Amino acid sequence: MIAGQRRRWLEYVYLLPYGTAFLMFVALPFVVSLALAFCQYDLTTERPPKFVGLRNFSEALSDPFFWKAVGVTFRYVAWIIPTQIVLCVLLALGMNAMVNGQRTVRALLFLPGMFSIAVTGILWQWFYNQEFGLFNYLLKIIRIPAIPWLSSEQIAMPSIVLMTLWWTVGGSAAVVLTGLQQIPSQINEAAAIDGANPWQRFWQITLPMLKPVLLFMVVMNTIGAFQMFAQATLLTAGGPKQATRGVVQLIYDTAFGDYRLGYGAAISWLLFLLIAGFSLIQFRLIRKVAD
Amino acid sequence: MSAKTSLLLLFLFVVTLGVLRCDRTAALTGKEVVQLSFWNGFTGPDGRVMLEMIRQFNRENPDVQVTMQRIAWATYYNKLMVSALDGRGPEVYVLQAAQLPRMDRAGLLADLTDVYDETLRADISPRMVARMNFGTPDRERLLGLPLDAYPHGMYVNVDMLRAVGSVNPDGTVHPPENREEFFKVAEAAMKLPDVDGAKIWGWGFGDWSYNFFTLVPQFGGQYVDADGVPTLDHPGNVAALQFLVDLHQKYKIAPPPQGGIGGWVGFRQKRVAMAFDGVYMLGDLKRLNDEQPDPQRKLNYIGVPIPQIGPKKGTYADSHALCVRSGLSDAETAAAKRFIRFLSDQSLAWAGAGQVPARKSVRESETFKSMQVQYAFSQQMDDILFPPRTPSYNQLAINIALAVESAIRGPTSAADALKKANEDYKRYLERDRMEQALYGHSDHVDATRSHGRGGAK
Repeated sequence: MIAGQRRRWLEYVYLLPYGTAFLMFVALPFVVSLALAFCQYDLTTERPPKFVGLRNFSEALSDPFFWKAVGVTFRYVAWIIPTQIVLCVLLALGMNAMVNGQRTVRALLFLPGMFSIAVTGILWQWFYNQEFGLFNYLLKIIRIPAIPWLSSEQIAMPSIVLMTLWWTVGGSAAVVLTGLQQIPSQINEAAAIDGANPWQRFWQITLPMLKPVLLFMVVMNTIGAFQMFAQATLLTAGGPKQATRGVVQLIYDTAFGDYRLGYGAAISWLLFLLIAGFSLIQFRLIRKVAD
Repeated sequence: MSAKTSLLLLFLFVVTLGVLRCDRTAALTGKEVVQLSFWNGFTGPDGRVMLEMIRQFNRENPDVQVTMQRIAWATYYNKLMVSALDGRGPEVYVLQAAQLPRMDRAGLLADLTDVYDETLRADISPRMVARMNFGTPDRERLLGLPLDAYPHGMYVNVDMLRAVGSVNPDGTVHPPENREEFFKVAEAAMKLPDVDGAKIWGWGFGDWSYNFFTLVPQFGGQYVDADGVPTLDHPGNVAALQFLVDLHQKYKIAPPPQGGIGGWVGFRQKRVAMAFDGVYMLGDLKRLNDEQPDPQRKLNYIGVPIPQIGPKKGTYADSHALCVRSGLSDAETAAAKRFIRFLSDQSLAWAGAGQVPARKSVRESETFKSMQVQYAFSQQMDDILFPPRTPSYNQLAINIALAVESAIRGPTSAADALKKANEDYKRYLERDRMEQALYGHSDHVDATRSHGRGGAK
């Protein structure tokens, strides 16, 4: 009895460091931001927060800048998720088929993901620099006119997506590769004996068996993509003409540029609802597939 | 080594560090040394000049020790505001004067009216003093001490001027002074032979918003009327923006704003003959030439006032204001005021960093007159249109930036872009007014407030 009580007490002691950090940096901000979302709180005045009900939410829903940011975020998600999934499946299939050097290629692909986003952003700023950048230099060699990678409304978003792919695709490909390696080889061998060609084996065996992994990745990457911030901040600062300013950057600009914490919190809760809605749909999809 | 010995050694180490950390100057001199933290955004060569000025102050004032923190302007106000609100901010800091109303609204600025003695009042233009005043007609409340002004002017490539024949009878170059001369030089420069296969342009876009701000006063534009109502779509503003758009679209003297070489980069690379920019960019050109060992390849440039392109002369400028945080102790406030007065008195050294001092006596000194670019840009001081004084300046600037970008990139017309900016800014002000009303105080200037946040230490 005494030993059991001590063990229980110890469990709480072990939980204490993480629990404290969780309470301070997750639970508390969560509650405070929810409370703030219903208040007017302007840091540039000396007044405390004032309860305003749903006003911040209704203002956001009628704010053209909010809807523009939502549109940009969806555009980013629509670009990044399919390209990321297709690319990492292709890379994983390629690596899986390799007899030699698979580990080296996997490590090389994984390497960019080890850079912090700040390093990646600064590096790619130079790649994209219109005058001195690597890409336009290479284009010049083959006599193709310079591309305004970051200053064109049409090209800026694909440029951000390209950088994000370089940064993240290695990690995703490694996950898919692990999924591929979990597929029993006997199934493919049996199909081959039955006369299935590689294309048929991919569609009928590999892809269905990869579905749980791919759906998990779609969910996690979609959640991440909705929170796109650092890439656009570092490369374009949301420009040109706010064509790359997503919702998180709008939240940042509102809360820490305009110091309207209440309104910023309301937008962040709207984003939370958006992500939660999408995640719910995707999780249901996963459950259906798993069943 | 046992655990007890390790703990004892660790304890002794911490105690030793604590003793070393203690301010020994006070013990040695018998006086308490006031520590001041000074924040600014002078991250370029100007920061090195400022650091030297601070070292001099520290040498001459052993009872005050100032330490400087330089933060890039892009994140400066964010960090300053958040730290100051929490009472952890610097005791002294630099604000671009356009930011004063906002910091005042947050209650972060100490009243510096008593710093302005007769010497200062005689030496700083009433217009600049007025920008620091947040009091009432019968009671001044000066919240900053202007260190300088940073007007925008025109940088000109001297070799190109000679090449196109813009030379005075005495052999000196003749920079453009009006619209006709501006186009004449720009069009002639366009015909100069390519450099390393790259085309030469007459003029180049710099920061689009600042290019717009620079031209607005020349066309009689304004941002708000006498009653404070936004007038971003004022005909003068539209004319200024249209002129900017036309420099590429109609007159073809500027590289394409999208995909073409940037004006400042082009000027540095001798591919653009003329560029509008602030006096603070001088440090960049000096560094460019310092790093070029071959004298033949150095950039040969001068600074001149913006040519009179519109119906009247004019340009844009703001100034760096030295400010003291509210709620400091008497000793800190006194030390801070002594420090900012010292910087103002030393503004000739500051001019060397590529600034135009606020002090008239400094601008009239022979040493300052020998600073070609600074002196040339300072000749515009009477024609400056300062940014409007409003706590919502950032929103105003964002709306203008979007309008300028929309018009320059197209296809939105200058008039439509500015009309939309005006509507958006009005909507923002209306919401801001409603929020302030909710708080129960009409904003802009609360002249009776003398103390802000962060009670006295």
